[in-house]
Amino acid sequence: MTSEIKHDTSASTALDRSDVRVKHATGVSGRISAFLDRVRSGDLGSLPVIVGLVIIWTVFTSLNPIFVSSSNLVNLLFDCSTVGVISLGIVCVLMVGEIDLSVGSISGFASALVGTLWVNQGWPVALAILAAVAFGGLIGSLYALLFNRLGMPSFVSTLAGLLAVLGMQLYILGSTGSINLPYGSNLVNFGQLLVMPDWVSYGLAALPGIVMLVTGLRTVNRRRAVNLSARSVSGLIVRALAITILLELIIAYLNQSRGIPWMFGLFVGLVVAMNYALTRTKWGRSMTAVGGNREAARRAGIKVRSIYLSAFVLCSMFAALGGVLSAARLASASQQAGTGDVNLNAIAAAVIGGTSLFGGRGSAYSALLGIIVIQSIASGLTLLDLSSSLRYMITGAVLAIAVIVDSLARRSRVSHGRA
Amino acid sequence: MTDTPEGPVSAGELVLSLRGISKHFGAVSALTDIDLDVHAGEVVALVGDNGAGKSTLVKILAGVHQPSSGTITFRGKPVTMPDPSAALTLGIATVFQDLALCENLDVVANIFLGNELNPLQLDEVAMEIRAWTLLNELSARIPSVREAVASLSGGQRQTVAIARSLLLEPKLILLDEPTAALGVAQTAEVLNLIDRVRDRGLAVVMISHNMEDVRAVADRIVVLRLGRNNGVFDPDASNQELVSAITGASNNAVSRRAERRRAEREQIGRGQTQEQRP
Repeated sequence: MTSEIKHDTSASTALDRSDVRVKHATGVSGRISAFLDRVRSGDLGSLPVIVGLVIIWTVFTSLNPIFVSSSNLVNLLFDCSTVGVISLGIVCVLMVGEIDLSVGSISGFASALVGTLWVNQGWPVALAILAAVAFGGLIGSLYALLFNRLGMPSFVSTLAGLLAVLGMQLYILGSTGSINLPYGSNLVNFGQLLVMPDWVSYGLAALPGIVMLVTGLRTVNRRRAVNLSARSVSGLIVRALAITILLELIIAYLNQSRGIPWMFGLFVGLVVAMNYALTRTKWGRSMTAVGGNREAARRAGIKVRSIYLSAFVLCSMFAALGGVLSAARLASASQQAGTGDVNLNAIAAAVIGGTSLFGGRGSAYSALLGIIVIQSIASGLTLLDLSSSLRYMITGAVLAIAVIVDSLARRSRVSHGRA
Repeated sequence: MTDTPEGPVSAGELVLSLRGISKHFGAVSALTDIDLDVHAGEVVALVGDNGAGKSTLVKILAGVHQPSSGTITFRGKPVTMPDPSAALTLGIATVFQDLALCENLDVVANIFLGNELNPLQLDEVAMEIRAWTLLNELSARIPSVREAVASLSGGQRQTVAIARSLLLEPKLILLDEPTAALGVAQTAEVLNLIDRVRDRGLAVVMISHNMEDVRAVADRIVVLRLGRNNGVFDPDASNQELVSAITGASNNAVSRRAERRRAEREQIGRGQTQEQRP
């Protein structure tokens, strides 16, 4: 009986809309109420970041109007790129429910390695960078080995790594303690000066809207062709237009000053690539699955150990790359590189951006959004000329709030039947 | 790994054969000297009390555990299954009792987990269609395949798990308590599905506590008791025989009631014959 009734649904109904018990959001009001439902049940997405950003920017602008000046914001983008790349690696390990506490040390070590190999030993700069990133990957594979074969919690192994790698950094820097990278070299220019020409930045800002429209239309056509429900074309156009206009306005404002740093372009490029890898490839699906339910992933035939290996290696490689970028930004490789708040900022950025500490939930974009929040706080506090003691306390409080929001949202998701 | 014969199984082919399978967990012997044969187009029900070793046996067949001793022959060739993917490659699909779904992924992602189409650019549309096709074959009541599995009920999750096991066109399906969490209609659907799977020439091993379900679909009933083989029964075997094989005791509630019923029937029968006599 039941099967007859079910197959009776008219052919015009889309395959995925034949069940009458499910509410489907239609129209603008439907989408808004669906969004509110989602937020209420703890699926916050990037909402906390945007609210946080608005609050932070309002407060700092009212305290010091220079904060929103385009020159300060361009500086902000330079600063974002270095720790942002490290944070992107943190997203990888958090996705599988692990952590890497040594990213700061790895970044410091990578900057020291580039300084030694390039400036002191006379290696070509590209080769030195490659060596630093490869060494980062080696450290990551060591963590993976300890985790996979010896069952050592990543929390402990990377805590040990934090000290060990810091020791290696001090060792190769030797008694001098710091190596200055030559001003005027390509690497330092990249980290301090190079910005996109206006036409490049405007062109790149138009790209997301175009890609969104093209892929969106293709998906709509494919889904319509096989009798699945699809989003409305007009809504798609509106969204693409809105995003393009917003980005172009931001670019126009920033171009009043120096413009968009190439280094920030590299960071965003890496974020977009990682986002694609995490959401649209089998590897990314496996990462999410391992973070959500390791045993289920194993039984589905996923090679769980290789997934952990890839997460740890990627994280350490991103950390090393971030270290090279920050060396370029500071034009030096010193004993202080990668120490202090680098570790915490990178982890905080990923969590504030919406990647869960509990694994299985997150996005590459959380590194981008989160690091903008963190650097906004740092930049605002610097402008207010506050001591680093206060800066640490405030950044620590923000991290605590972010983790509380994550925990509460998770609890709410569980009680509302959303993982 | 040994290469296995490809292509469809012929009717009645001996798909799986276990000889002398034992499994120890430390000092505990979960399984001792288990023999089991499963043919194509046959549903074998595995029944036994709690702790009889049913789930352990299924986990060995699924490659989750490795046997301590004994041989597994799959389609005429001895095989070892060091991990679950080896079992999947051979053509053994498993629906575990705890379902093994990722709650943070949606239904489509769960069905295709480990077998995604187009690994470098996931083909979401094709996967969604295949998911709906599988679910419709099961007459599944899944509201949306784009919802996270966390939002589904127990029965819906069972359906998703079964749909997933069918994805790879396996030769042998292992079902661990497939109907335990299902409603009446869904139980009937799953039993229908098991029938359909058998008619397609696949071998099915099913664990169940529910004798009605077992009798409804099984061709043979294999009883395990305390980790050992304890008899093979016809689906026509009486409840009493089965229960005594499962529990190892002939004096229990089922046998007592059956005894009482028979006695009552005989009495009524005698009464009727007496009434007819004059």
